Amino acid sequence: MSAPSENMPVAVAVPRAKPLLLRHLPYFIGAAILVALTATMQFDGYIHNILMQATTFAIAVFGLSVVLGLCGQINLAQAAFFGLGAYAVGLGTSDYQLSYWLCLVAGCVIALLAGALLGMSTLRLGGHYLAMVTISFQQIVTLVMINTIWLTHGPDGVSRIGRPDLFQSSQSYLAFCVAMLALVGYVVWHLSDTRLGRAMRAVRDNELAAGVVGIDVFRTKVSAFALSAVLGGLAGGLFAGGFAYVSPDQFSFAESVVFLTMSLLGGVASPIGSAIGTGLLILIPEWLRFLKSVPGLYLAIYGLSVILIIRYMPDGIWGFVNLATERWRSRTKTPAAAAALQLKPANVGGDIVLEVRGLSKYFGGLKAVDGVDISVRRGGVHALIGPNGSGKTTTLNVISGLYKATAGKILLDGTDITDMPPHQRAAAGLGRTFQNIRLFRSMTALENVEIGAERPGNPLIGQGGEAALTERAMEALTFVGLGSRANELISSFSYGHQRLIEIARALAANPTLLLLDEPAAGLNSSEKLQLHELLKRIAAQGLTILIIDHDMTLVSEAAQHITVLNFGRRIADGESMAVLRHPDVVSAYLGTD
Amino acid sequence: MKLTRRDFAAGLAVGITAPYVIGSARAQGATIKIGMCVPVTGPAAEQGLWAQNGAKLALAAVNKAGGILGKQAELVIEDDQTTNPGIVLAFSKLAAQRDIVGFLGSIRSTQVHAMAPDVLKLGKPVMIGGTDPALTHMGNPWLFRFRPNDSYSGRVIADYGVNTLGKKKWAIVHSTDAFGTAGGKALASALEKLGTPAVLDQGYANQSQDFTPVVLAVKQSGADILGTYFTFENDLGIFARQLRQLGVNIPWVGSPSVVAVSSTKLAGPALYGTYGVADYAEDSSEASKAFGKAYRDAYKTAPDNQSAWPYDAVTVLAAAINKAGSTDPTKIREAILSLKKFPGAEGEYNFDQNGDGLHGYNVVRNEKGKIVYDKHIDFDN
Amino acid sequence: MDLALQLLFTGIGIGAVYALVALGFVLIFRATNVVNFAQGEFSMVAAFLMVVFAVDLQWPYWLSFLLALAGMALLGAIFNLGVYYPLRHRTFLPVIIATIGASILLANSVLAIYGPQPQVLEGWFETPGIQLGPVYLDSQYLLIIAVTMILVVFNYWFFEHTMLGKKLQATSQDKEMASLLGISVSTMIMITFMYSAVLGGLAGILVAPILFVSIQMGSTIALKAFAATIIGGFGDVAGAIIGGLALGIIETFGAAYISVPYKDGFAFLVLVLFLVFRPQGIFGERVAEKA
Repeated sequence: MSAPSENMPVAVAVPRAKPLLLRHLPYFIGAAILVALTATMQFDGYIHNILMQATTFAIAVFGLSVVLGLCGQINLAQAAFFGLGAYAVGLGTSDYQLSYWLCLVAGCVIALLAGALLGMSTLRLGGHYLAMVTISFQQIVTLVMINTIWLTHGPDGVSRIGRPDLFQSSQSYLAFCVAMLALVGYVVWHLSDTRLGRAMRAVRDNELAAGVVGIDVFRTKVSAFALSAVLGGLAGGLFAGGFAYVSPDQFSFAESVVFLTMSLLGGVASPIGSAIGTGLLILIPEWLRFLKSVPGLYLAIYGLSVILIIRYMPDGIWGFVNLATERWRSRTKTPAAAAALQLKPANVGGDIVLEVRGLSKYFGGLKAVDGVDISVRRGGVHALIGPNGSGKTTTLNVISGLYKATAGKILLDGTDITDMPPHQRAAAGLGRTFQNIRLFRSMTALENVEIGAERPGNPLIGQGGEAALTERAMEALTFVGLGSRANELISSFSYGHQRLIEIARALAANPTLLLLDEPAAGLNSSEKLQLHELLKRIAAQGLTILIIDHDMTLVSEAAQHITVLNFGRRIADGESMAVLRHPDVVSAYLGTD
Repeated sequence: MKLTRRDFAAGLAVGITAPYVIGSARAQGATIKIGMCVPVTGPAAEQGLWAQNGAKLALAAVNKAGGILGKQAELVIEDDQTTNPGIVLAFSKLAAQRDIVGFLGSIRSTQVHAMAPDVLKLGKPVMIGGTDPALTHMGNPWLFRFRPNDSYSGRVIADYGVNTLGKKKWAIVHSTDAFGTAGGKALASALEKLGTPAVLDQGYANQSQDFTPVVLAVKQSGADILGTYFTFENDLGIFARQLRQLGVNIPWVGSPSVVAVSSTKLAGPALYGTYGVADYAEDSSEASKAFGKAYRDAYKTAPDNQSAWPYDAVTVLAAAINKAGSTDPTKIREAILSLKKFPGAEGEYNFDQNGDGLHGYNVVRNEKGKIVYDKHIDFDN
Repeated sequence: MDLALQLLFTGIGIGAVYALVALGFVLIFRATNVVNFAQGEFSMVAAFLMVVFAVDLQWPYWLSFLLALAGMALLGAIFNLGVYYPLRHRTFLPVIIATIGASILLANSVLAIYGPQPQVLEGWFETPGIQLGPVYLDSQYLLIIAVTMILVVFNYWFFEHTMLGKKLQATSQDKEMASLLGISVSTMIMITFMYSAVLGGLAGILVAPILFVSIQMGSTIALKAFAATIIGGFGDVAGAIIGGLALGIIETFGAAYISVPYKDGFAFLVLVLFLVFRPQGIFGERVAEKA
């Protein structure tokens, strides 16, 4: 994953000297030169057709780089969306004599609706299902194109497709398509640094964590899917105008696989990779024509290359190039110092921040949590302890919304959050960390924490502008002692530091209640001391903490209040020292027999 | 013999420049080039090979007889990958070579549809084998067809079934691709004109693994004769077997695939006694017999229409250019249209203003696995 | 009624083919959590092996049959080593795409070697079929149905009552636990791939006399078989069988009573309906909650 370097805020908290568009002037100048070249250079029909194909295909592949690269969702029906756009322009301009522009827009809208509906129906399910549904959709679209002859002319295809009056000549039309390519490329390139783009990357890296930091996972996925479909439709519309003829076999499943391969070959994560992949996969078959004497041979080689690319170049050609420069680039940036972190937990309820009543969670016949009550007082550290398998983590998962409660009620600051999805709970003021650390691994520490700061309803980020987000994130990172390494990738941090980043991510969101799931697990003794000291500093700012841990020293020193679970039931609750001396607790830990 | 310095210099100059002179002469047309888009890869790669065989055979004959306008003729082959985008690319690659005077397009109608806009733009003659009637009726003057179009196959099937076999209750089964749909339509309207409208018109999707519903529909319709347009031989084979298994034994007159060599091989006895229309039948004329012999001598296997039409296309194109005395596209067009009663492997060519060269079909019969010529049916209009 | 009976027989016959291929899908999915998009090509390759042995070389049918299945076991092993194993630690996405690549590779290698012409493979029996009252029973379909039933019983016995079967079960349920118990997970996965390839190959050989042997035969069947696994409930052996049969019947009746050209559409429509309204399939468990 590459964030273009000029796009990373170098001087934090200093307002940008130049507006965004001005800073990207070189890109637009380059694009303009390219468009001008296409419009004026002489090339023969063959080169023209190759360029036309490459340009329109690249836009469709950009769509894949959004859904697959940014959001990590598979789409095996890009050719179908491409076909929807192509047929809208084809049929609209030839049979119904409509304006090209109207048809192009209609094609995009149809693709958008189809993509959104398809996404909404299946994106709640896992990847294999999505793969299958998109294949099915692809097949159905192909069948409809072939069989609804009254509408689509069936397998004959649509000919005499019109172009806009402005771009009647092939060359000017190609130039127009190149301009569209440049525009779409710009949007896709910068998408990853917008709020939506960050959300997509977070979903791709870790769906569960994305949910608990306040991202609406489902909506993000549907957006990515719909956006990819729109780009497919747009590309198809341009394609239809370019070749003046379309037929169903151009939009078959095989073409979807070609799109996917283009995307993978170049590097799925970036539009530059998409462009490289598209160019190569259009040119390579042309170059390899000498293999044509044996039918099937070059497609066999193509299949083999797909396997080899996946095996040896998982991030594609562009990813491969990037990897070589990544380390060098991230080292060049030195983040500025940040102000002290402020935590202003909301305070609208009464004395009790979290009220759990009769909470149960059954897995089939297994009662993992069975009628548990917990009351967490404002401003304190509350610990939830119990032997392995006692239901602590399940309880935490039900509270944060990863599991649906079988029975019971959860009130956060007086609001009933029992039936909310995780991202709404986050918006309501819940923050958490995970026992097995769940960070967004392809991003830098700063980006991780920024996503936390972006929590809907966080009052401390003003309008949520990029500068404010970065400032807030830097404060949180500095608070846990990692401010100076903000721009490093997650993989370069030690296990203990990754824990601290996860805590910083939760703190940046300025939660009302912080859930810590075994924060000391896997830490060495000096790291534990640091953690303990950190907890004190957090508590000092009045943030309420609910903590699970096995480390009794940490628990007994940090927590004022303890709830003990065993076999899914609450066996003790009260002030720390008293609870720890409770006979049931002792026997639960040491065994009774 | 004294070799002066001047002589030496001149000789050296000739020696150095000669290849360039020859090269540029070649570029300017030491040969006459004919472009050919043909599937070298993709599902129809093998048929593509047969097509090349036919074209090369004709080319050899043309060159032996003195070539075109006194120059040797040459084929420039491009792979159309058996796809529509493939043929658009292949054709644009050929079209970019200015010295190509004429082209062979595809036997596939959708591919011809795909390349048609580019053909119109280029404005040079393209010989085609696609049989969708619309191809020569969409105002494109540069397409010349070397197989009878589907409106004729439909009319021949209908005529043969109604007038020769005396059957009136027709069931039509056709694939839903371009070929099958157009053919089915042509057959249905021909039957309509003969006053015996079909009792069943059933489409099916290519690569169906099972035809029981189709066979049962034929059975239920009470038809006493079956007319078919099948695209793929394996579909035809499955259908034929299931037809016989489920006890349907009515006469069957079908499009060329019924009597194709590979269908005969796949379906075996299930196709015995069926009739098919064939644009190429070896016993239909002297020219066909001559082509059959030449092809067999050259390639040791029997030819079919896949190689017969490119053979005729190259022969006719060469004859037309020679007749026109020029490679000017308009003159070639006029020359092709003026050819009358030109004998070819596929039949006797009489080009009409649309560019259709043939106006009828042969009917052949499957005699226990052997394809025998039955009769030729031609139409004047 | 006669019509319906005939359709029912054909539907079950073609459904049994889907079921056989679906079984191969399910076994690999359970063991590796990966959908093998090249499963259909296993069927195609096996059918071509049969053509090589039984038709070209004129070896006895049973010998060719055994050799073809042995060849499939080998192909399954190579597939595992070349495609799945190197990617086993990656997410499902690269693996899916690699199997798509493998499917293109297999189909086109056979095309390069054998050419695009469909081939004929004779059936196991001399008699093409039996007329039973109004219904004609194709002997090859009868064989396919019988083999499918035998395999259902065999799989049940194998997975529930043999040590190897239990080890395979354990591996598919919990790899870590299995390896703690001393089961070699990579061996088990290897066996799964080989067995799946053999099953796919069996389907291909059995169906070849009906559909002929062609490059495309695998991919069409595989898509339907995949739909069958989802309809039946992913990862469930009984579900794959029931899903396959159901799909065959739905398709045949849909073609007869609604529309022949949209025959393939029914399969995918049913699939989409299932995915939207009952993603766990007929038999499947609830889509697992994971944290």
